Amino acid sequence: MKASLAERATLFALVTLIVVVYVFPYAFLVSTSLKPPADALAIPPTILPQRISLENYSNIATFPSVRQSFANSLTIALLSTLITISLSVPAAYAVARFASMAGKIFLIAVLITRLIPPVSVGIPLFAIMRSLGLTDTHIGVALAHSTISVPLAIWLLASFMEGIPHELEEAARVDGCSRFGALFRIIIPVAAGGIAVTSVFVFLASWNEFLFALLLSSTSVKTAPIAIAEFRTQYGIQWGTMTSLSVVFSFPVIIFSLLMQKRIVAGMTMGAVKG
Amino acid sequence: MAILILPAGLFLTAFVAYPLFLLLRDSFFEVSIYAPTEGLFVGLDNYVKALTSSRVLESAQRTLTYTLIALSAEFALGFGAALLFNAMGKRSELLRTIFAFPLMIPPIVAGLLWRFMLIDNIGIVNHLLETFGVIADSSDISWLGDRDLVLFSVALPNIWLTTSFVALVLYTGLQNIPAELIEAAKIDGASAWQRFWRVSLPLLRPVIAVVLIIRGIDAARAFDMIWIQTEGGPRFASEILSIHIYRNMIRYGNVGEASAIATLFMFSMVIISAIVFFLIWGRGTSQS
Repeated sequence: MKASLAERATLFALVTLIVVVYVFPYAFLVSTSLKPPADALAIPPTILPQRISLENYSNIATFPSVRQSFANSLTIALLSTLITISLSVPAAYAVARFASMAGKIFLIAVLITRLIPPVSVGIPLFAIMRSLGLTDTHIGVALAHSTISVPLAIWLLASFMEGIPHELEEAARVDGCSRFGALFRIIIPVAAGGIAVTSVFVFLASWNEFLFALLLSSTSVKTAPIAIAEFRTQYGIQWGTMTSLSVVFSFPVIIFSLLMQKRIVAGMTMGAVKG
Repeated sequence: MAILILPAGLFLTAFVAYPLFLLLRDSFFEVSIYAPTEGLFVGLDNYVKALTSSRVLESAQRTLTYTLIALSAEFALGFGAALLFNAMGKRSELLRTIFAFPLMIPPIVAGLLWRFMLIDNIGIVNHLLETFGVIADSSDISWLGDRDLVLFSVALPNIWLTTSFVALVLYTGLQNIPAELIEAAKIDGASAWQRFWRVSLPLLRPVIAVVLIIRGIDAARAFDMIWIQTEGGPRFASEILSIHIYRNMIRYGNVGEASAIATLFMFSMVIISAIVFFLIWGRGTSQS
């Protein structure tokens, strides 16, 4: 049953090729950010910098609002992840386990929320947030971002939880465990990998979101994507600084995702059936 | 059970259903964005206007084309990658981590980056195509300026950004298939193709349904990446429904008509998604 060395080498080469193609745009972004600003639009374009320069990075420091926008993005993304996961885990469990009429209606309602173009919810949402006094606050933007991620999280978590054998909970319930006990002692530990994967996606959804942040954060809680977009319109497209800003913006997310990667792999491969 | 659903239900009622109610109400009124509380009731006028506007119908057609381009490319590439990663098993960890990089890029940046790479004369894409002899001159393909090509070009950052999402979710699903089932099929003499077709694929149905629906919906609602690349141009050639609605609402201030289009858009998506849902998930559960 073990694949031969040649087969494994071919497989490795094929996967590596795909990964290289997918990484190329990002690598090109990093490479461009390390060129002197004027070389970003050189003719013909070069893949690697002819001369390494950190000028694009030092240029970022001349925009103090950018640093504040990074702090805002982090706060909002963490708040949104916290809100989304605490709301979605119990809901997903109910949807995955109880195929009752109410559960089906709820799932359809959740699906519908995924279908709404954000632009059309954004305008009435702005009016609602204003009446609650939540415009231009971290919690206001985080709540708006959670309207996007709660349905996504419920769908993902429900599909993960459906893979958990009923026998596990039934055994626990025979031993006197309540529904809630089963959720906290059986489902959440077994589905930890799925919850980790979901948290990463929820965090990234908030971190990257553009439209609601634009509508709800006029000045003090402006997020990084808005700062990057405004950077573009205010000064024309300065491709050099745009690339360095993008690299810095993606850096904390890369670290965060790398830390989660271990949980993702461990959680999803060590299923309860094997464990 | 109710108490498990209640918190999420209340949240979605207040911040999704209620705005949705406001949207539906506005679709029957002539409302200006500058005076949102003073509307004039016009019945179905906004709907009649929307359905007889060639610009709206063309936007709808473009939305469908764009979604099909993005979704089929993402799913084919993502499933292929997931199967290869699965065949490699645990040793694929580092490669998977690197493959996930595009997921970490904000759509705004992805849009700007691809716009940068697709610039006609000095873009890296045309330069590489010229170097490899695919095109004679780096100005031969105008990715974002050619009306027949632009829908494909604006789909590129979307495909690049989300293939990893499709691949990682499907990979997780493949890893969740108990090894005992695959082993049992092997002992029964099933070929790799049969094991995939008869064992893995049926078990993956719920995950596939989730991935297709989530990605299809997101592609259909795409906004930022297209906006940042072309703003719907050239001459509306990449103006899909979400961009049309945004323009109608924010730029022209026609809240009522934009609300009517958004309502129609939403109902079409519900119907299409319901069909996909019952075709894939429904059939899978009735067999088991």
